[in-house]
Amino acid sequence: MFIRMIGGTLFRQWKKMLMIAFTIALGASLATAMLSVVLDVGDKVNQELKTYGANITVVPKQASVLNDLYDVEGGGSAGAYLKEEELGKIKTIFWAFNIVDYAPFINANATLDDGSDVTVVGSWFNHHMSLPTGEELDAGITSLRSWWEIKDGHWLDEQNGEDGNACMVGSALAETRQLAQGDTIHVKGSAADADFTVVGVFEAGGEEDNQIFTSLDAAQALDDLDGCIDSIEVSALTTPDNELAVKAAKDPKSLTISQYETWYCTAYVSSICFQIQEVITYSVASPVRQVADSEGAILEKTQLLMLLITLLSLIGAALGICNLVTASVMERSSEIGLMKAIGAYNGSVTGLVITEIMITAVFGGIAGFAAGFGFAQIIGRSVFGSAITMRPMVIPIVAVLVAIVTLIGCIPAIRMLLRLEPAEVLHGR
Amino acid sequence: MKTRKMFFRMITASLMRRRSRMIVALLAIAIGATILSGLITIYNDVPRQMGAQFRNYGANMILTPTEESFTKADFDEALSRIPDADLVGATPYRYETVRIHEQPIMAAGTDMESAKKTSPYWLVEGEWPASGSIMVGAGVAESLELKIGDTETVTYTIERGDGSEPEERTLDLTISGTLSTGGSEENYVYVPMEDLEQLTGTADRIDLAELSVSQTADQLNSSMEAINDGPEKVTASLVKRVTASETTVLTKLQALVLLVTIVVLALTMIYVATTMTAVVTERRKEIGLRKAIGASDLSIVREFMGEGMLLGGIGGLLGSFVGFAFAQFVSRNVFSSSISFRPLLVPVTILVSIAITAIACLIPIRSATSVDPALVLKGE
Repeated sequence: MFIRMIGGTLFRQWKKMLMIAFTIALGASLATAMLSVVLDVGDKVNQELKTYGANITVVPKQASVLNDLYDVEGGGSAGAYLKEEELGKIKTIFWAFNIVDYAPFINANATLDDGSDVTVVGSWFNHHMSLPTGEELDAGITSLRSWWEIKDGHWLDEQNGEDGNACMVGSALAETRQLAQGDTIHVKGSAADADFTVVGVFEAGGEEDNQIFTSLDAAQALDDLDGCIDSIEVSALTTPDNELAVKAAKDPKSLTISQYETWYCTAYVSSICFQIQEVITYSVASPVRQVADSEGAILEKTQLLMLLITLLSLIGAALGICNLVTASVMERSSEIGLMKAIGAYNGSVTGLVITEIMITAVFGGIAGFAAGFGFAQIIGRSVFGSAITMRPMVIPIVAVLVAIVTLIGCIPAIRMLLRLEPAEVLHGR
Repeated sequence: MKTRKMFFRMITASLMRRRSRMIVALLAIAIGATILSGLITIYNDVPRQMGAQFRNYGANMILTPTEESFTKADFDEALSRIPDADLVGATPYRYETVRIHEQPIMAAGTDMESAKKTSPYWLVEGEWPASGSIMVGAGVAESLELKIGDTETVTYTIERGDGSEPEERTLDLTISGTLSTGGSEENYVYVPMEDLEQLTGTADRIDLAELSVSQTADQLNSSMEAINDGPEKVTASLVKRVTASETTVLTKLQALVLLVTIVVLALTMIYVATTMTAVVTERRKEIGLRKAIGASDLSIVREFMGEGMLLGGIGGLLGSFVGFAFAQFVSRNVFSSSISFRPLLVPVTILVSIAITAIACLIPIRSATSVDPALVLKGE
């Protein structure tokens, strides 16, 4: 009988029930969309902030002192280099998946035909790597130097067979030498000389504007530095630093074992640096504070902002559902008055109303969840150009939210229904 | 006159008598209006607030001398071309090669207070240097084994071009702190400008200045041109890495807030409309009864709409203030700065609330008035 009555309400009063389902769906979709976005916004913004370039630099121990402090010029005399063959190891550390991009650099001092000095920098442009893990990665300065403005020609495309003798020149150098795409430039290094074909002219707004960028092999050959690199720039997705990370950055040995494990297994910039040092011999990996610190600050603010907006929408959605459930239950006062008049108990009336509403809520909630997921994807696609990852935790949160809110919405209405005097209701007062 | 009085009495009486339902409707409208005014206020303010956060990346404009160096007067003159409110910080730098432990080291003289503003990411262990003290880069500290609290003699040699004996000048400075940045700054030492001037014996020379300006890309370009067109002997250039990336990321963040605002607003408005529709649909019988005793369709529509719009107005007014309070709360907590009240948003919120309630009421009233009153009263 109970089931028949519920079925009757759902089918005969489908218009009213549809209205309730629709409101619940709206609330649920709002909650789903906002929760999905807020849970994923950190990763997405982090990805965007990668346009600021590398947040970790790796140099050989002693190298910085030798080069910058004492102005040691020329090729192999300094003797502090990283090994090219170890580059692949960076993608084997614990946080390998957080390393989105990296590029090695080698500086060779060369002279042009008229005897003037020029720095030739060897690097990766869009170096393709197939990793043992099955991951494919295009790494290099095409993405690490996204702020460079290409004035003429295009980015050097390694995958298109352009390495060997192709190069890119800085705009200041190109201007003084009257260089354009397709021109050839002759440079003489300490060990060999080479003819480079200019494929692109860039403006970087820094000292790079006076330099020549070419492939790693070509630059190494100039100074006979096969297999040597000066520095590596790494772009990694990191978690903002906290006290533990600051303490660990000073000296990892000062931590207790459990602190050490927490630190090592969290993507702090300091722990990633530490792990890079473990795999690259004789290296010092240090965070580029300008990028690493600012990333943390912006990330935190964006997440907090989105969280508060989400909170507002959740409160709005909750009040909305409550409100309409109350309104629609009150509307049925005459029907319930009639039930009470023919002898229904308060308990059974309450049970009936709640069951009806909850069944409606399930349908509304599922529909709303699907719609909300769609909204989240629209936001993800149009803002970040990539899909929003669905976190499994959104489902229980939305389900519990809808259930609680619907129940709360029923309370004032049911209290009113229980106070109803059947005679008064039927009389129409 | 009389009809109008009657009209108001009917509306207010209806609102008072059906209190509980009207509270439901009013609450719905107020929530909608709160979200509307709150989100629009936040959306309006986010570009400015977020832009300020991006100043964490440090200087986005560099002043270099057109000739060898420039003076404090040139510097101030150039700064006057940028509105004060947009200027986050401006730091002059003077570079000289000095010797510590007989090792040549690049010393930068600067104004420490403004350096804190243009390079907020500098990690200083110990203290920033005051007059008579020096801050050494982490690289220098390590290679020369310098410790915080040590007093070191800094030597500077003045070379005159005329072949006479170079003059040695020394100054004892206490190491107040070490600087880590992960960049080349770690291989410099930093001293207050007046100490470097005392050491070198020459004053009023600036080799380079870093500016942190909170402006959009277009505004930055025009500021740069204004400085370059000016008579002072400085050339301004933008730090491409910072400005280009900021534009990319900031545009994305703004688009995110905009889209979220649109989605939330659309859903909220639909929900307000549904609630109003539900509240009015309930009163089909009343409409039928009025028609039966001879009310014209127009008068019924007018009365019901008047009621709905009155609710819309009150709800909108409430919501616009609660919404502002919310936006203020967000701004205080996220960006720790306050939002200025936009009076224009109050009438806009009220008008939108009224419009939405009006549209929401119109549909059920229309369907009720178009039906034969007998059918409505019978409950079909």
